[in-house]
Amino acid sequence: MNKHVSGRSMAFAVTTAIMTTFAAQAFAQEAPAGYPDGYADLIAAAKKEGTVSIYTSTDAAQSQRLQDAFTKKYGVSIAYNDLGTNGAYNQVISEAAAGQTTADVVWSSAMDLQMTLVQDGYASEYASPEIANLPAWANYKDTLYATTVEPIGVIYNTKALSEDKLPKTYADMIAFLKDNKAELQGKVATFDPEKSGSGFLHHSNDARNRSDFWDLAKAMGDDGAKIYSSSGGMKETVVSGENVIAINIIGSYALDWVKESPNLGVHFATDYTPAFSRLALITKDAPHPNAAKLFVDFMLSKEGQSLLAEGGLPSVREDVTAGLNVKTLNERVGGGLKPIAVDEGVLEYMDQMKRVQFLNDWKAALGR
Amino acid sequence: MSTHTQAPAAIALSKAAAEKKYPAKMPRHGNAGAYRRIVIGLLALAVLAPVGLIVYQSFLTAAFFSPRAKFGFDAYQYVFTDKNFYRALGTTAIFSFGMVAISVPLGGLLAFLITRTDIKGKRLLEILVLVPMFISSIVLAFGYTVSVGPTGFVSLFIRGLVGFVPWNIYSLPGMILIAGLSHVPHVYLYVSAAMRNLPSDLEEAARTTGASIWQVSRDVTLPMVLPALIFAAALNILLGFETFGIPLVLGDPNGIMVLTTYIYKLTTLFGTPTYQLMAVVAVVLILITLPLVWMQRKLLRNARKYAAMGGKGARVATLKLGTSGQVIALSIIGFWLFVSVALPIGGIAVRAFVDAWGEGVNLLDQLTFTNFDRMLEVPSLVRGIVNTVLLSVVGGAAAVAIYLMVGLAGHRNWGLSNTVLDYIVLLPRALPGLVVGLAFFWVFLFVPLLTPLRPTLVSLFVAYLVVGLSYGLRLLQGTLIQVAPELEESARTTGATIGRTWKDVVIPIIRPGLAGAWALIMIIFLREYATGVYLMGAGTEVIGSLMVSLLQTGAMNTIAALSLISIVLTGAGLALALRLGAKIHD
Repeated sequence: MNKHVSGRSMAFAVTTAIMTTFAAQAFAQEAPAGYPDGYADLIAAAKKEGTVSIYTSTDAAQSQRLQDAFTKKYGVSIAYNDLGTNGAYNQVISEAAAGQTTADVVWSSAMDLQMTLVQDGYASEYASPEIANLPAWANYKDTLYATTVEPIGVIYNTKALSEDKLPKTYADMIAFLKDNKAELQGKVATFDPEKSGSGFLHHSNDARNRSDFWDLAKAMGDDGAKIYSSSGGMKETVVSGENVIAINIIGSYALDWVKESPNLGVHFATDYTPAFSRLALITKDAPHPNAAKLFVDFMLSKEGQSLLAEGGLPSVREDVTAGLNVKTLNERVGGGLKPIAVDEGVLEYMDQMKRVQFLNDWKAALGR
Repeated sequence: MSTHTQAPAAIALSKAAAEKKYPAKMPRHGNAGAYRRIVIGLLALAVLAPVGLIVYQSFLTAAFFSPRAKFGFDAYQYVFTDKNFYRALGTTAIFSFGMVAISVPLGGLLAFLITRTDIKGKRLLEILVLVPMFISSIVLAFGYTVSVGPTGFVSLFIRGLVGFVPWNIYSLPGMILIAGLSHVPHVYLYVSAAMRNLPSDLEEAARTTGASIWQVSRDVTLPMVLPALIFAAALNILLGFETFGIPLVLGDPNGIMVLTTYIYKLTTLFGTPTYQLMAVVAVVLILITLPLVWMQRKLLRNARKYAAMGGKGARVATLKLGTSGQVIALSIIGFWLFVSVALPIGGIAVRAFVDAWGEGVNLLDQLTFTNFDRMLEVPSLVRGIVNTVLLSVVGGAAAVAIYLMVGLAGHRNWGLSNTVLDYIVLLPRALPGLVVGLAFFWVFLFVPLLTPLRPTLVSLFVAYLVVGLSYGLRLLQGTLIQVAPELEESARTTGATIGRTWKDVVIPIIRPGLAGAWALIMIIFLREYATGVYLMGAGTEVIGSLMVSLLQTGAMNTIAALSLISIVLTGAGLALALRLGAKIHD
């Protein structure tokens, strides 16, 4: 070993040592309660990696608390890439093909695209110590995890519609749209399944589970329904009075919106309220595999889930008391909550023929 | 003064006679041929790499990097048998030509009034007329929905007066009108750049002999700025084909589809993105531009006709409008500004400071700063603002320098390389920013030496450079073309090298044009949104692309706050540029 260590590198070494010690003391080293014995090693390895890269469709604002808490707790920084559902999918497969994988965790609301990534071998298996705390439907083969449960519902303009006039069940909604054709003409909004992955998921999931979905679509078409590519865009038009009602929007957002927006009401069918989940996976060649595992575990932990729920993304865990959880949410929507299971079922409409058929039926129902 | 009197005469001269009088070709010897070829070659590489990738992709059956990809025409077969494609194509054509029919006459008129007459409040107008350009069309359209949409505050006010809303912006005519008005600044910038450099003695002479202002503008000014108008019209047609935000926000809810929204649908239509289909539509767009370029080249073949900026006497005296002229001119501009600036920006400004708007909503009750507070809490949004400023100001300046190098390489260059230049310049403009951005994302991902640049702003800069090429370069060329050849010839005759001629003669003459170009490029970079969607990542966020990703969830509060910031930033940047001596008028 060279005895003549230069002053500068010595100083650097000392600073690094101090910083490492400081970091080690500042952030609790022990594994969270109930985690396996070797977990402290995982934390140490993650810290060494120093950063975790997340490709997501969730706006940074909605998960900022989660990110901040994670970085504060473990000293691992987050490179947060809000790319949208298609952007995230595209970047992951492109990077993998180029052998340049940068994504560690993919966290997206496009359940079908996430499942496709898993099926096509872009994800790696990781059994999170939090599995026991999750509903069975939220874990797909220890590879793909549901991190939220977000109801799909209806928003309406309270100036134009009073709550008692709103239909209680799915079937009532169809009748309601038919009976009020004159008042609702050109004032019904819904998701465009051609342009929005979320919209496709919401509508096609209904089609999978409800034989009367096409009656609903037809009724919307008869009302001259307009189609939009985001829930936020539809909210804007409903608050302003341009539309009276918006169907199949993301209800968890709506539950937050009604607290602040005038004129806005949120409504769920008591017999049938499907809910989608944001799914998380760890990429196969993740450059920071330990940090990725740490992040997924944190996201599924009671602490992480509470932070997400506070940000308006209801928790999949029943023991989370902040915001809504899967149980309290079910009460809130009237008892008909039906989370979309994380399984191969979400791939049904990835089949090209079925998909094209669905979209053609949709366009026909809407009269386009 | 010979140059000035000859300019209109030259138009009358036959091409042969003109060439005899002013040999078009500089001596081959010492004409910097190597420099020209290298610069144009590098540019061609930068443009053709992504374009080539798109063309290649269009002939495959899956993503080019997929093991399943095979060579075939399946994608073409799908697109060319899809009735939605033809519907979108037809709508796009109507949209583009309608837009040009509005923007070119209005832009030309505005340029004439502001650069050639003594209209009041010039300095302020100079800035105001550019404002619609500052806003990406997505936000512009959004601003209109808040002010003149079915329940916009202006619409509700009018409805209170006359009982109904006499317009519908969610229709093809509504979209054309909005797009046409918002593209007026593009035309204005082009035409005013040309008009600014016209000597005024011709117009004065016409005025002295009794011609009215209108006669002067029609018979004297118009012919001299014809090339600029043709450039502007051609570019606007391309822009019409490329416009995304306005059709997306205003056309889509009612099913009015154009080619760009058709491409956008192809990303989700089949579940996973169908790049080959997107590529086919992009190739169609490329094929549409080629005849446009050919036509433009034909029209502008004899550049000497338009040389009007001589060594001396380029001082511009303005035409006197008179009192009634002032009133009419200011009313026209005022009304246009109200419609294309006050309405959308008013809409955005209102939206940025409220949480809700519309029927039965008292805007005053909704007044809030939380949209901004919340935005500042999110680091990636703050970073986006910083990055955008960096990319526009520094990147914009770098881009002008590069465009100037390319412009000089093409200046008085009649070789094959110049033909190549003319054709590659417009290619990227014809492609939707989303597709160019995606192609560049792949280039930076798959070309080994470039991979380290992908997570940096450099990748965005290169993509922006290529997207802004048609504007920036044409603007510089428009200025360069007006430097009378005899100035360069005299320098060359006295023994200056071509480099020295450029440095000591050409560049000093066009300096005001360079500052103007910088301001323009800055604006273009600031408002760009689609190009960065695939290229940006953590740390390289830019405002425009952040807005696109936010639009997917519909976080309108943040979008409105971001767009107001981008408007303010651009306004500040332009004011600064003007102060620094970028004499946009004079």
